[in-house]
Amino acid sequence: MLKKIKADFNLLAILLIPIGIAVNFVGFQVAQILRLPIFLDTIGTILIGVIAGPWVALVAALITNSITAIFNPVYFPYVVTSMAIGVGAGLLSKYGMLSNVYKTIVSGLVITAIAVVVSSPITVIFFGGATGNTSSAITATFLAMGQNIWGAVFSSAIITEIADKVVSVLLVYFVVKSISDRYLSKMKYGHLYMKKRNTKSKKRITHPNLFT
Amino acid sequence: MTAIIQLDNVSYRYPIGDEWILKHVSLEIKKGSFVSIVGNNGSGKTTLCNILRGFIPHFHKGDLEGTIKLGGTDMSEYQLGQLGEKIGFVFQNPFIQISGVKDTVFDEVAYGLENLGVAEEDIYKRVEEVLSLVKIQHLREKNPFELSGGQRQRVALASIIVMDPDILVIDEPSSQLDPIGTEHVFEIIRLMKERGKTIILVEHKMDLVAEYSDELIVLDKGEVLMQGPTREVLESEIFNTANIQYPHVTEVALELQKQGVKLNFLPIRDSEITTCFKNDGGNE
Amino acid sequence: MNQNPILSLHPLTKFYFAIFITVSVIIVPNYLFAYAWFPVLIVIAAMAKVAKSFISFILKTLIILLAIVFLMQVFFYPGEDVIGSWWIFELTNEGLLQGLSLTSRILAIGSAFILFFRIVEIKDFVKALEDIGMPPTGAYIVLSTLQIIPEMRRQSNTIMEAQKTRGVETEGSLIVRAKAFFPTLTPLILSSIASTEERAITLESRAFSAPGKKTSLHKLTKRPIDRVLPWVYVGIIIGLIIWRVFL
Repeated sequence: MLKKIKADFNLLAILLIPIGIAVNFVGFQVAQILRLPIFLDTIGTILIGVIAGPWVALVAALITNSITAIFNPVYFPYVVTSMAIGVGAGLLSKYGMLSNVYKTIVSGLVITAIAVVVSSPITVIFFGGATGNTSSAITATFLAMGQNIWGAVFSSAIITEIADKVVSVLLVYFVVKSISDRYLSKMKYGHLYMKKRNTKSKKRITHPNLFT
Repeated sequence: MTAIIQLDNVSYRYPIGDEWILKHVSLEIKKGSFVSIVGNNGSGKTTLCNILRGFIPHFHKGDLEGTIKLGGTDMSEYQLGQLGEKIGFVFQNPFIQISGVKDTVFDEVAYGLENLGVAEEDIYKRVEEVLSLVKIQHLREKNPFELSGGQRQRVALASIIVMDPDILVIDEPSSQLDPIGTEHVFEIIRLMKERGKTIILVEHKMDLVAEYSDELIVLDKGEVLMQGPTREVLESEIFNTANIQYPHVTEVALELQKQGVKLNFLPIRDSEITTCFKNDGGNE
Repeated sequence: MNQNPILSLHPLTKFYFAIFITVSVIIVPNYLFAYAWFPVLIVIAAMAKVAKSFISFILKTLIILLAIVFLMQVFFYPGEDVIGSWWIFELTNEGLLQGLSLTSRILAIGSAFILFFRIVEIKDFVKALEDIGMPPTGAYIVLSTLQIIPEMRRQSNTIMEAQKTRGVETEGSLIVRAKAFFPTLTPLILSSIASTEERAITLESRAFSAPGKKTSLHKLTKRPIDRVLPWVYVGIIIGLIIWRVFL
């Protein structure tokens, strides 16, 4: 198992991690500049999960939130959410759930569910239901309407996450479609997205692990 | 001189794409020689470099046939990490050829030695030497991200030279540089040759190729058309039909020859321009 | 060498201190205890000569969150002991206590780590983690990410400018703005991914995956105080646990 995980971290996968993390940050920044009502700050993590697998995405998520912590450590507990999203994206990709637009939308909904289920307890336990952004207002409204704290946090998380995650996963779907076959051929799940399936002779030079 | 690199009947194609990029390539590179690989775009020059450096098959997968020997040992017996000590590699794009984790030129140049586990005192000594050899002492405290293309290419070269490989594979080092940057880079390559390194160069600028190379390998559509001493190759009929650019001076001389001017020999370097014309009598 | 008594500490001594504060406020439920850490942290920040940036950072990032958390507890935390009311809301004693307890902990833990990142060089912290067993690959990823983020931010700004001149609208209705997102991010992602192959070759040329032990020119010094302080933290934590359980 451990050896298998280690094999996922070939040099190209390792070099993809900083790019994915930077995409998380830049995605968020561009969304802010365009004044979009969603965060789009997990695109890189999802992308990594989809082409390099769940474990690489997990590391990318961990480092993304660690770097965010340099600027604002308060939200570090949500690292668990990011890691779950990365692993989720990896598994969805593995089982072919990003092979067409419709499945991709379903994947977006699954990732939304993951995000909501994992982040809500964090919001309730660490922050008493508040998050310091607009979703707090939604939560407060639900609470004022008489819902209990869990119901209110869940409902507000679904509302804020659903558009964000479905759009992110769709974007990743289209990006992966544009990545060159040559690059994809070196990624764990890349063969699932190559335009040209390899039908040539089976004789292949094996790819030695670069880290042994 | 003994052969340091031998290719015997080597063919290669990338995992995607049915076309063989290299076809039955056989060649020998002698220790301490300066060999240039020339050919038109798509002739397989960069692929050949990747094979010589071991990135094929260690990094790029695909189908590789034939045998490749480095110092008499089959290439497949080396690990990619070990090859770094034996063969240095510098390529076109100066902007990507930095480690991306060091914030001074000094640390950047030292990075390869750190990875090799060289003792600290030796690292300081060797980096100092190379910085002055490549004449970039003044950049030592600069962030590699803030350098110009020419400066970065020199830092990239320094970072490889410091590891003291026997062989340098250099793939179009000047393609993104201005004339002064190019001059600096070739000055360094010349110094390396003087120090007994084996140099394998891919370069479009034929003036430079003719100026520096001992031997040429002419590639065409993945096949070796010819290998031999620079002058012999440039004078040959095969080169003439390969439709590769001549050095400027050669081109001019050939044109003059066509016009009926008689030549002592075909000039391939700028310095030969004065001696190549036939003097039929006296100093006329 | 840095002579400042706080800044010159080993990165892990600083990091363990933030962990120590976190653990201490979890063990001791009293909100006054948790709030008391804040002035202590300000004093440490002042000694490290970062008090101004520390406080302004807290004002910018923490205060609003703390206010929202507090108000939500005060008004919505279920409780019986009503101590006041405002409009349709009821103020309960339980809510007030919960609000104080939560905010005191968020303030203590949050500001401990905010201070940590003000008094540590990330490069040193990464090196310290590497020294205690983080794989060099992990260190490479973190350091290279820190270099790539500003680089990609610059590139995204350039792309956005270029999109504007090519007529991609970045102002206007939500749909118009949303449409600008895709052409900005996609080329950036694709070109960055494409560059990793050459970066991999660069690293291999520098013996990145060479077998054997690596040397590091970047060294951290551990002074006696860096060996003593972590044990002091542990001692105090044990003391607090004993006090909680037996007294």
